Amino acid sequence: MNHRGLLRVLAVWALLLQGVAIQAAEEPSSASSDAEKAAFFTDRVEPILKNHCLKCHGAEGKVRGGLRVDSREGFLKGGDLGPAVELDEPGESLLLEALRYEGLEMPPAGKLADEEIQTITRWIEMGLPWGGEEGSMPLAESHDSADSIAEVESWPFQPIVRPPVPNVKASDWIRDPIDAFLLAKLEAEGLAPAPEADRRTLIRRLSYDLTGLPPSPDEVAAFVADESNDAYERLVDRLLASPHYGEAWGRHWLDLVGYGETNGYERDSAKPFVWRYRDYVIDAFNHDKPYDRFIHEQLAGDEIAPDSLEAQIATGYYRLGLWDDEPADRPQARYDMLDGIVSNTGHVFLGMTIGCARCHDHKRDPIPQADYYRLLAFFIDMGDQTGLEVHQFGGEEGPKVLSVVEKGRAEPHVLLRGNPYLIGPKVEPGVPSAIDFDDTTFSGESGKRRALAEWLTDRSNPMTARVFANRLWQYHFGRGIVATPNDFGALGEPATHPELLDWLASELMDGDWKIKRMHRMILLSSAYRMSSKASAEGLARDPANQWFWRFPMRRLTAEEVRDSILAASGELNLKAGGPSVRPPIPAEVLAGQSVPGQGWDVSPPDEAARRSVYVHVKRSLLLPILATHDAADTDASCPVRHTTTVPTQALGLLNGSFSNEQAAHFAKRLETECSGDLAEKVRRAIVLTTNREPRPDEVARDLEFARSLQSEHGLSEHEALVQYCLLALNANAFLYLD
Amino acid sequence: MSHQSGSRPSGGQFCGRTRREFLWQTGGGFTATALAGMFAGDGFLTRQTRAADGATPFVSPLAAKTPPNPAKAKSVIFLFMYGGPSHVDTFDYKPTLYGLDNKTIEIKTFGRGGKRNEGRVVGPKWTFRPYGESGKMVSDLFPNLGTCVDDMAFVHSMYAESPIHGSAMLMMNSGRLISGNPCLGSWVTYGLGTENQNLPGFVVMLDETGGPISGPKNWSSGYMPAVYQGTVIRADDVPIHDLALPPGTDRATRRRLLDRLREKNEEHLAERADNSELAARIASYELAFQMQQHAPEAVDFARETEETKSLYGIDRPETADFGRKCLLARRLVERGVRFVQIYSGGAHNDDNWDAHTDIVANHSKHAGRTDKPIAGLIQDLKRRGLLDETLIVWGGEFGRQPTAEYAEGTGRDHNSYGFTVWLAGGGIKGGTTVGATDELGSAAVEDRCHVRNLHATILNQLGFDPNALSYFYGGLDQKLVGVEGAEPIAKLV
Repeated sequence: MNHRGLLRVLAVWALLLQGVAIQAAEEPSSASSDAEKAAFFTDRVEPILKNHCLKCHGAEGKVRGGLRVDSREGFLKGGDLGPAVELDEPGESLLLEALRYEGLEMPPAGKLADEEIQTITRWIEMGLPWGGEEGSMPLAESHDSADSIAEVESWPFQPIVRPPVPNVKASDWIRDPIDAFLLAKLEAEGLAPAPEADRRTLIRRLSYDLTGLPPSPDEVAAFVADESNDAYERLVDRLLASPHYGEAWGRHWLDLVGYGETNGYERDSAKPFVWRYRDYVIDAFNHDKPYDRFIHEQLAGDEIAPDSLEAQIATGYYRLGLWDDEPADRPQARYDMLDGIVSNTGHVFLGMTIGCARCHDHKRDPIPQADYYRLLAFFIDMGDQTGLEVHQFGGEEGPKVLSVVEKGRAEPHVLLRGNPYLIGPKVEPGVPSAIDFDDTTFSGESGKRRALAEWLTDRSNPMTARVFANRLWQYHFGRGIVATPNDFGALGEPATHPELLDWLASELMDGDWKIKRMHRMILLSSAYRMSSKASAEGLARDPANQWFWRFPMRRLTAEEVRDSILAASGELNLKAGGPSVRPPIPAEVLAGQSVPGQGWDVSPPDEAARRSVYVHVKRSLLLPILATHDAADTDASCPVRHTTTVPTQALGLLNGSFSNEQAAHFAKRLETECSGDLAEKVRRAIVLTTNREPRPDEVARDLEFARSLQSEHGLSEHEALVQYCLLALNANAFLYLD
Repeated sequence: MSHQSGSRPSGGQFCGRTRREFLWQTGGGFTATALAGMFAGDGFLTRQTRAADGATPFVSPLAAKTPPNPAKAKSVIFLFMYGGPSHVDTFDYKPTLYGLDNKTIEIKTFGRGGKRNEGRVVGPKWTFRPYGESGKMVSDLFPNLGTCVDDMAFVHSMYAESPIHGSAMLMMNSGRLISGNPCLGSWVTYGLGTENQNLPGFVVMLDETGGPISGPKNWSSGYMPAVYQGTVIRADDVPIHDLALPPGTDRATRRRLLDRLREKNEEHLAERADNSELAARIASYELAFQMQQHAPEAVDFARETEETKSLYGIDRPETADFGRKCLLARRLVERGVRFVQIYSGGAHNDDNWDAHTDIVANHSKHAGRTDKPIAGLIQDLKRRGLLDETLIVWGGEFGRQPTAEYAEGTGRDHNSYGFTVWLAGGGIKGGTTVGATDELGSAAVEDRCHVRNLHATILNQLGFDPNALSYFYGGLDQKLVGVEGAEPIAKLV
């Protein structure tokens, strides 16, 4: 808006609001006439506003910080930080603080000249006269309509009510209510579920799903040959009882909480004993710890069970984030660390983007800014722990743990615009108002985190069970019923099967939050056993498979890629738990560090061959094979892994030292295990990498390849076998699951 | 552009997000077969779906894209002076400061040593002299760059939010003090892809002494997929990690392996023909094979003349290393690489521009290693007609204080209140100067430019509205310039 335009708008307001001159009557008697004041505004003030402020605060559609300066009301109402001007105490006006560069720095392009600041000061003291006709000082109309907080409308913020199981036509497909919910939608869409997958596909799918590892050839053979009615059921039970189940599903949880073993930033120093938290998570899944207890221990282990080592370790949940040992601004760094906790807690347990309300009310979801600081208030008394501080459990001889202790009582406040120097109203600890149907009150005293944990797992909480049931579905079926599992709000995806999700959430709670029971129910369904093969009809009607008419294929995860290569080569060390290991990293990659090799003392070979969940998670240095296959980012909650396909993955798997070394081990393993000819070795390589029998001509053609390396390229039989093993580790049939 | 939130066509949205954002967000990646059918109208996915025939060429997520606005620059070369060069000793001429040498004055500073209210002035240690038609004053540290000033535009009023290396590096590279956010190069390749699929789109060259503090966090794609992260490339025979065949493997053997692998993968695909991800993976192996052939060509200087090499200082020991990197940068942008970042300085202390004890020794060394190569780069790009479409950015994570850090010596502490960057090419007005620090150079006072304004300027030159280029993550349309947004530096463009 140009100068003339501004005046024109002001004139219109003046006409609209004629006679509103109350403010003038309250002016100090020393003030000059209205006309003089209007002239002061027009001649002195308006040019400053126009030249330095208006561009970002009212013109060109920009309203930075929520503040408009193109009307008197704009100043009085102010922006995200509250009123810009205090008529009662002009000297206290935020506007003047900003112009003086005290806390805020406005205009950002450079401090105004002293005379200009004096002009604005005088203007405020005069009562903020505005230009216009005949001395009237029009109050502008409100510009603001869209900023009000969204209403609580519907699912998913409504209480969970167990829905009835629908009736369906093809009832012989139904093994459990999950199938009925899915089939009801499929029938409505005119789709038929895919037939059941074959046994080899099922055992491969189940083994990776539950343990992150391939089945052994013997396990495959036994399952294929098992003719008993409960063969599949027993397979599910065996895998759920495997200690590797916790390693696979624990890793999902570590993704969610943003698990890292270093503090990030300049030194990226190691977090001492953080691996105990990783082991706690793995053990929790293996021992089928109820999900409510799992939450209680992580959020309030110190409060609910001060004598339990396990519960102390669980509170390591709070200690996983980034920590800047040399912050430019300590209060800011402290609130950044607390923000990590608040945002994660919102994402992980509630599927809500509460972090978006740090600086202002959530734009789309019913989350006012105060909710953010009320939630933060639960954590504020333990917010000062450094990234290195450990606590000795049970006296001097006890183990050291990365846990939390409360340190005094801080007074929680809203921070205006998230700025730690702009202290807003005091708040009490509290939970997101949109889903707090009982208006729960919380004390600020010790035990408040326990109260929070109990509120989260109360039967009336609409989010906790829904969010976790959705995650279970997602990790089994590749996509959540809500495809944005950390965001159930307006910017997330709508649920494809909300009734099914509510039914699963009800089952979770009614089954005392036991997780293995939920797995079992999902895995025994007909839905889970479907083939991934497409039907023409399915592809035509629902190519995205949003109604789950077939089982979705997927690539192995980063950890599965590495673990499967080690499993095939025979090098995988299945030892569980303990401090993390550091497999070798090529020098060219270490060269990216400011001190190459720092924080990465390479483990001996047998330790370096342990499962990927035990590989040290150094924030600034990830193991290349994990990084290129889309391992979780360590700096925030990772609800869904990306799956990218790029040539650098091929370069790494074909040329990298890890895959070539493992191909050599793989070849030696085949030579040891197979007494027969090269054909037998090739056959076994196929079985080990794909869990299926080779097709009739497949071995012959693979042999032809290996023989040609010998005859045409001068390789020895062993060298040719190594090349064949490298090929097998690069095949899509190895890296993808049906 | 579908990812321009400000110009989303109504049909291109998927629940408040563009289609591609949705795909990334839900973990589908560019080969999100499971979702492909939802977006049949999206050209990008249509190509992916068609690739399922096994014959259609691989379409990379980095395929070149057209920006929404007319672009001045096609590629960026960011010369990162890690450690923080002193603006008052390089390009920000402060005549008053000479006379105050060694005098203790009242001055507000904030550096590694904390906040102070007084300090001992270290007068500038080099003479400044005017260059070019613009008469720009440049210190004797840069006699070669001095001859290029009419092609350069200086911003003397930069400010940042942290005077600590780790967070300041993240600020300059990703716009945020906290790690986990995509870097400038990631945003650019996300928005524009890259024009040569045989080379990475976002390339980083490190100093011979090592990487900067926080290492790979400085070229991380953060919450974006890893395809947008920087690739470290070296100016030697094996420029990219894992590019060389492993010892004992020759090219013919590898070709034979790839042929058999392709057969096996195609048989696997035949029963799963609707899965374009499998086809993409087959194609990615061919592309990798081509990269092995073409990437070494990019770093092979055999066909560069001696005159050209000399222009970059490759014939002199002190400038050879940085000169090779600058020449490689030209060769990379010639070949369509979108974003090249070269670090001057690595590791810690005086291995980079972090002159805490002796500004003369430190800056003589680092300017001496880079002055000739950078001037050569500008001149070479210009005579080849490439400067117009290549945006060069020079700067560190902050500047340095006009006062000494210690009681003795000429070292200066960090200064994020005011520092200088310069830009050249890519539609930037040469010979201009924007903004100013106070007369001592302690803080930006006139036309102050936040790091975000610099980022906005770079995106603007590439054809983006910096306040519209967004990526949906964590419940927000994330932007390089942050939720508050930032304007390009108008006087530069």
